[in-house]
Amino acid sequence: MSGSNRLAGLKARPKDTTVEEVRRVDEVGEARGFVDRTPRKKPGRKPSPRTHQLHPKVFPRVGEAIAAEAERLGITQGQLIELLWEHYTSE
Amino acid sequence: MPVIVMASPKGGVGKSTCAVLLASEFARMGAQVTVLDCDPNRSLTRWASHGLPKGVTLYSDVGRSEIVPTIRSADGDGKIVIVDLEGVASQMVSRAISQADLVIVPMQATALDAEIGSEALALVKEEEEALGRSIRHSVILTKTSAAMKSRVQKELEGQLRGAGIDMIEPSLVARAAFSEIFAYGGDLTAMMKDPEMVTGGKVDKAVANAQAFTEAVYERLK
Repeated sequence: MSGSNRLAGLKARPKDTTVEEVRRVDEVGEARGFVDRTPRKKPGRKPSPRTHQLHPKVFPRVGEAIAAEAERLGITQGQLIELLWEHYTSE
Repeated sequence: MPVIVMASPKGGVGKSTCAVLLASEFARMGAQVTVLDCDPNRSLTRWASHGLPKGVTLYSDVGRSEIVPTIRSADGDGKIVIVDLEGVASQMVSRAISQADLVIVPMQATALDAEIGSEALALVKEEEEALGRSIRHSVILTKTSAAMKSRVQKELEGQLRGAGIDMIEPSLVARAAFSEIFAYGGDLTAMMKDPEMVTGGKVDKAVANAQAFTEAVYERLK
């Protein structure tokens, strides 16, 4: 068996692939147990990139001061530490 | 050009093997073959990672929502589209069947394979009724014995033929080369010519079997 001329005789039958036809095919399949098995994405909000746990062992007075300053600036403690780190590395 | 869909809700029956053999043999005949790997196990993608035969293009990770438009875009003059589906009863299977010119249902000669495989045959019949057009479909027995036809195989063939099911002859014999082609990539002819490719069986017999299988499929697509 060789030669592409043999293959030239092969024909595809016309197939209408309207939305209605796909819906009918889905219905027929579902009735026989051929259901949508696409893996579901994990529900809920995606995690923030700010998820790294900083070392929690600081003196209470330092922790309280950071919390108070963050509240005064209207940012989170993590954002304040990021600002401090930026300042520290720029020196 | 035709769309050939490998379908069975059962895994491990030889869908990917049939797809690889048909793709490489039709490409050897000069066809441009597009293979869609819709199986999450990505068997065809693994095969392709070792090298695709000339004339074969592979699309991986085709999902339920993309299956119909991907088949339509791949279908064209001088192209044969081969779809390898996952071994589960899913909506993607029913959608792919609706686009087929030939549905091939591979099954081993066991009662379990026949029972689960018959679900795909029943689905084809129901889609034919729903769409008002015929969808050609055939069964190929896989991993059969080279030495002799078992009693179970004879009985199964008789039952399927009695039910009016078209059987592709010859069956695909259990050949080491059919498994090892996934490790080497390419096609069986290259495997036969390369002495560094070691298989545990007779590659020439596997080549002859694959060519006869492709010829039988060709006859059904004319």
